[in-house]
Amino acid sequence: MTLSDTQPDHDYIVVSVKGDRRFLSRIASVGLTPGCKITVLQNLKRRPVLVYTRNTQLALDRDDCAAIQVEVA
Amino acid sequence: MMGCEACSAPCKEATGQGSRTTSTPKRPTADAVVALIGQPNSGKSTLFNGLTGARQHVGNWPGKTVEFKSGIYRFGKKSFEIVDLPGSYALAPNSAEEEVTCTYATSGAADVALIFADASQLERSLYMLASFAGTDCPTVLIVNMMDVAQRQGKTVDCSLLEQRLGIPVVPMVASDRSRYDTVGEAIEKALNQHLIVRNPPAVDREAEETQPEAVQQNATVRFRWIEHLLEGAVTESSSAPRLSKFDRIAIGSKLSKPFTILMILVGFLLAFVPAMPVMAIGGAVSSLGQEVAILLTGTGAPDAVGSFLSGVVFNSLCFGIMMVGYVLGINLVFGIYEEVGYMARISYVFDNTMARFGLQGKSVMPFLMCLGCTMGGVSGSRVVDSWGQRMLTVAMAWAIPCASTWGVVPVLAVAFFGWGAPLVVVAIFAVTLLLMWIAGKVFGPRLVPADARKGLVMEMPPYHKPRLGGIVRTACLKSWQMFKRAIKVVAVFAFVIWLLTYSPTGGVEGSLLYAIGKAIEPITLFFGLTWQTFTAWLCALVIKESALGVLSGLFAGTGTANAAVIGAATGTAVVAGNIGELMAQAISAPAALAFIFAFTFNVPCSASVSATYAEVHSMKWTVAIIAFYIVASLLLGCVVYHVALLFF
Repeated sequence: MTLSDTQPDHDYIVVSVKGDRRFLSRIASVGLTPGCKITVLQNLKRRPVLVYTRNTQLALDRDDCAAIQVEVA
Repeated sequence: MMGCEACSAPCKEATGQGSRTTSTPKRPTADAVVALIGQPNSGKSTLFNGLTGARQHVGNWPGKTVEFKSGIYRFGKKSFEIVDLPGSYALAPNSAEEEVTCTYATSGAADVALIFADASQLERSLYMLASFAGTDCPTVLIVNMMDVAQRQGKTVDCSLLEQRLGIPVVPMVASDRSRYDTVGEAIEKALNQHLIVRNPPAVDREAEETQPEAVQQNATVRFRWIEHLLEGAVTESSSAPRLSKFDRIAIGSKLSKPFTILMILVGFLLAFVPAMPVMAIGGAVSSLGQEVAILLTGTGAPDAVGSFLSGVVFNSLCFGIMMVGYVLGINLVFGIYEEVGYMARISYVFDNTMARFGLQGKSVMPFLMCLGCTMGGVSGSRVVDSWGQRMLTVAMAWAIPCASTWGVVPVLAVAFFGWGAPLVVVAIFAVTLLLMWIAGKVFGPRLVPADARKGLVMEMPPYHKPRLGGIVRTACLKSWQMFKRAIKVVAVFAFVIWLLTYSPTGGVEGSLLYAIGKAIEPITLFFGLTWQTFTAWLCALVIKESALGVLSGLFAGTGTANAAVIGAATGTAVVAGNIGELMAQAISAPAALAFIFAFTFNVPCSASVSATYAEVHSMKWTVAIIAFYIVASLLLGCVVYHVALLFF
């Protein structure tokens, strides 16, 4: 499943991130690397997805989230 | 020599050590160049303002739509030139801002790098240090937001980190001035002993620049390095992450958008509390000017002297002071919003709406404020932290009719169109959206190129208590800098219009503008403007409120355009009560409609122009949007006039 299909207040593990070098670099620089644990805080239609990872609350674009594969922790 | 506004270069050469690549004013006082490197909202700018105070230079990086900020920090006998690099999460060129930061940080132009991390989210925020480590530049780690971490029940052992890293590690609260000396000491120590990060992460930097797999691999290595570094150095509270109660309304409900708009409007109103007294002083200055003019005329001085004094000197001062009032209020209130961490929430809620134009969600704030006052909105645009997006926000925001417009438009609309007046208002809002869209299309591609438009990736800072002292100091400083810049622009506008409208005979016919207006009327008529409405349109460039006074002078003979512009700020300009009816007898409905549109969508006013110049510090772009709006306004007048002719 991708990060855009996740449920709030659930924990996930990042499996893989797909995209070009710049996208990967952008996502990695805020701490989302394969294997890291994330908690989804909020996932509302037409709003960026809110996640919590590496003690940081992050807002991520919905379309970008569709390129991030996760599995239930 | 080039002025500071024009200075736009990374200034290693100021120290006389680097190679001179661009012409910049020499700053012989600096002993070393210190780069501030950190993510957006890391408190970097707060520390920068705190360390450098009024000794700042702001401009753009050469050939880039990215802001350059540097300032002098005096520590003991030493003086350091601090370069505040654009906010960036890593040393990777993923945006125009990050490109500048990356290039500068790795160019060797800085003698010392101050790298920011956030104590409350150390693991992720140390990524910048992890990607900078391995360079040969002496480094200091600033662990900011110690107060936030403490409140969250986290502790950070900075001396242990210092041992492990081999560089000075400074615990910091960016707004706490009593800690600043530790920064100076750390800079000196890193510089004198050439302290660089010991045992940097083992990554292949070159591969990272070409291979996607290497990017992830290196990131993983860096985070492992960070985890290792932090082992035993931090204690965490183990509460499960959740949205705060406030955030559930502010960003997590259907009401988030109206709530955000409400918060912005409340902020805008609150800004008037500190602004009002200052603006009253501005008004008093203008009144004083008129008194002085009367006195001078009484002593037999030429009328032109008094008129010049009150119309140009005192009036410019008046506009300047009023503007400072606005800027001060807005900086105070929205400084607090920023500092407590609320600004990022505004960005989040409106991200979807604004991203369509290549803007940040925050851009909604200046837009809303422009409904009150364009100058206020332009000053509010400083919350947009990318220069290109800020400039684009301003370029689009100029299309939004301000409150002063509504002091003029309804009077004319009712006089000419009676019950049709609301339609005129609806049409104005429709054209506002259209013009914003066009401005976005015209300026967008150059200011925010398509390849720079990417989905939001933003840290939502934890809420924390603001320190008022620092916010007040910064707001005063910014207002003063604004005043110094803005007053020049306002004075130029006021002088030109004064010169054009001044009449030695006291009658309208004596002014230059009358002669010009009459002579070019055949041309202005093509745009639907008679010489009278053209005069009012032109005078509104100085101050929008003057339009009715000017029209009144020209159609009812209640005074000259000159007097109307002078009196507009203080409300002493005479407006005939029946100005609408008088005009209806003199000009046609299509001509009135043409004026309404040309007037509404003209360059907002001289104060907005100077606010724009002061905020974006680019003469080129300020002139470009002036040209755009003058052309747009005249074309609109033209189209409206000729279409209306078909119906009336």
